[in-house]
Amino acid sequence: MHQVADVEVAKNIMDANKKLADKNKKNLEDKGIFCVDFVGAIGSGKTTLIEEIIDNTDYKIGVLAGDVISKFDAGRIEKHNVPVVGLNTGKECHLDAHLVGHGIEDLPLDDIDVLIIENVGNLICPVDFELGSHLRIVVVSVTEGDDTVEKHPIIFKTSDVVVINKVDLADAVGADADKMVDDAKELNPDIKVIKSSLKEGTGLDEIIDCIDTAMKN
Amino acid sequence: MHELSMAQGIINAVLETAETNNATEVNEVTIEIGRLAMINPEQLEFILGVLIENTIIEDAEIKIENIPVEIECDDCEFHGNAVIDDKDHYAPMVKCPECGSYKIEILNGKDIIVKNIVIEKPDD
Repeated sequence: MHQVADVEVAKNIMDANKKLADKNKKNLEDKGIFCVDFVGAIGSGKTTLIEEIIDNTDYKIGVLAGDVISKFDAGRIEKHNVPVVGLNTGKECHLDAHLVGHGIEDLPLDDIDVLIIENVGNLICPVDFELGSHLRIVVVSVTEGDDTVEKHPIIFKTSDVVVINKVDLADAVGADADKMVDDAKELNPDIKVIKSSLKEGTGLDEIIDCIDTAMKN
Repeated sequence: MHELSMAQGIINAVLETAETNNATEVNEVTIEIGRLAMINPEQLEFILGVLIENTIIEDAEIKIENIPVEIECDDCEFHGNAVIDDKDHYAPMVKCPECGSYKIEILNGKDIIVKNIVIEKPDD
């Protein structure tokens, strides 16, 4: 004989990641480390931006570089003589707090005051996974099309800063960079929007100012 | 493709509860998906179907309930459900249905929750 029973599970699948993200943040704060995480489209210039920040600030930077299967980005960062750990997500489209937690364990935390996390290129999946950072910067470029912002509303709604990169190429690809600025501002009136051309050296100072300001708050 | 990791989390939660309650079979699983979770319910169902093979969940009916997005507007103080227009884009645009402002706080609608299961178990 057997019986049928209705059993409450009430398990929030997102909670497991959120708890690990909170733990990552606490571990970093215990060491006095400020954490910035970069999300953005594939090829938008995330790695180049991180290289520029390393070369143009006095922060003691450590980097977690996420990629699906390769260590290309970690290899690029390594050349700038900062500690870096490459994180491979394998089949997954985003970093999660668990992977980041392991990455943090492999960094010399006593020698770092700013941890930069570079997510996998993706404007959708990272939204669901907090990592434990203090500031989230989303990077897109005009070459992805000037409708990229309005097509991916949630990541712009949940980030603190948006960098619209490669504005020097806007005319060549028929994109309106100001439309992207307006779309981001409409979606998230509180978001800081910065237009940049890392190739021509514009916008970088503003991005670094944003990190400075967030660190002081 | 994070439906796979989400599905695995769901299966683990179901199996854990089923085991704790001495289930011999799971007949039904109810999952709540917030409309802002970056998950496609159809893809999730497909992957769940693969993962439950050869488990006690194999024959269960998977029920998915979409949870609306609950918001509070900073401009007009509206508190309630946001209007989601799937025709506009799959990823829902969220704005205040009263005054149209985008200056809103999202209070609910981002989570994926295994709500309950119906199990068969031996008599006590």
